[in-house]
Amino acid sequence: MTEQAILFDSSRCSGCKACQVACKTWNSLPSPLEKNSQEWNGSLQCPPDLGSNTRLIITFNEGDNGKKYGVNWAFGRRSCMHCTNAACVNVCPSGCLYHDEYGMVTYDAEKCIGCQYCRSACPFDVPRHKGSDDILGGSVVINKCTGCPDRVAHGRKPACVTTCQPGALDFGDRDDMIAIAEERVALLHKKGFDKARVYGKDEMDGCHVIYVLKYGIEQYELPENPKIMGSVNASSKVMKPLTALGFVAVIAGLAVCYISGIGYHRDTMRYDEKKHDVIDVDTGEVIKHIDKEAGER
Amino acid sequence: MATERFIQRHSLQTRITHDVFVIACIWLMISGLFVFIPPLAAAVPEVARFMRITHRIVGCVFIITPIISAVASPGGVKRFFAKYFTKWTPEDVEFVKKFVPYMLMPKKTHMPDQDEVKSGQRFADGMLMLCAVAMAISGVILWLGISVFHVSAGVLAVQRFIHDLFFLILVIFTIAHIFLGAGIFEPYRPGHMIGLMFGNGQIDESDALYHWGFWARKEIEEGKNIVVKEVPDKK
Repeated sequence: MTEQAILFDSSRCSGCKACQVACKTWNSLPSPLEKNSQEWNGSLQCPPDLGSNTRLIITFNEGDNGKKYGVNWAFGRRSCMHCTNAACVNVCPSGCLYHDEYGMVTYDAEKCIGCQYCRSACPFDVPRHKGSDDILGGSVVINKCTGCPDRVAHGRKPACVTTCQPGALDFGDRDDMIAIAEERVALLHKKGFDKARVYGKDEMDGCHVIYVLKYGIEQYELPENPKIMGSVNASSKVMKPLTALGFVAVIAGLAVCYISGIGYHRDTMRYDEKKHDVIDVDTGEVIKHIDKEAGER
Repeated sequence: MATERFIQRHSLQTRITHDVFVIACIWLMISGLFVFIPPLAAAVPEVARFMRITHRIVGCVFIITPIISAVASPGGVKRFFAKYFTKWTPEDVEFVKKFVPYMLMPKKTHMPDQDEVKSGQRFADGMLMLCAVAMAISGVILWLGISVFHVSAGVLAVQRFIHDLFFLILVIFTIAHIFLGAGIFEPYRPGHMIGLMFGNGQIDESDALYHWGFWARKEIEEGKNIVVKEVPDKK
């Protein structure tokens, strides 16, 4: 199978959030229905971040355009980037997270043990978990964008892409998506959007979500140089082999000690507290005399 | 019937604290392996999920047990620290220098007399305590950081590294501790060392003199913790 990718063109996005709704609908992810259940944060970005039942949000950012009137109103897309070198897959201790045949990072919820290491490892801070407020953690299960493998397997596009009315989202062969993105960026440059760029082509060894950023990256809640944290690699690539090695070395060392101790015998001793003599019980011989006057103990 | 003297080395409270702590520690190691070794969790995810829940519950026992014990006996805490944080004597230094030769040639290496806690024991137990504290703190942050406080990903990653690092050290020192303390090493077997923590807390005079000469002689001279028992005559 050729690698597939989602293309998000921020210059075409109208911020309608239909993709958010489609994601929730297709994946049966409810939203709170109580009045004013979402805290007002002064932005159209709602909910303000990904959550246990929200795999995708459109971000809203108003940047200074350097002119007297108007703003650079940037619509971004915050969801799984489906990295090739995916920190979440590397760190997942149960094999729950994996790459599917199209290169998308998906998961088997049955295998999730709720450790949330994926969230702490992800440079984009994407994975979220249902039941994460459960203090014992028994009901914690990952919930993040999967790229709708059930739809893709039947020749359909992910739910968010299908519903995108202004055509900001597309889905297809990764190389094709990159080519479209680069062509679009070239056009944006011609139109005077100097900071326009493609994002996701090379990041994390290539993401399977390709962005066309109309404005500067600082307006999109995206890291400039996403990397797997050193401590993540240290844990998985250093500490585990080192622990195995340490375990084997200690066992081997102690086995040698054990063998050297076989057949060990010592005579029974007693202490004469009046004469301050340590005596061999079997022979009656004084092994050691403690000279108290000389300060011996 | 002949008589034999024993020294009461550990109180009931010390033994209970130690034993509950040991059981908790072993359970934490086993349950932690389900996160530490991916194929294990992948093979039996339901068991892994159960282990994770128990890891948190038993983790509480691991943390609370020594705290309760310390609160119940502040004097014991003071004596504990006095034993462990004490000035090193020339015999302490000699003990450490001879430790490896002794482990490899116990029949030929003569170890110097020691106080209540051997210098090597002070170091090894100190490492175990350091590991326990580091793992408890990092474990609590890893737990509450994702359920109550929602700390940053960076904090979680660092705590996870600390948890893994001290697990490595803990494994090494725990195995060595069991090897000696449980009397698997033959020179440590005659005195029923394991009974010091999992039995009545007493050690016979001969083995006390062998392991902790300074301490044993002092105890015998003072006579406070001496228990005399009738034993069958040797044939």
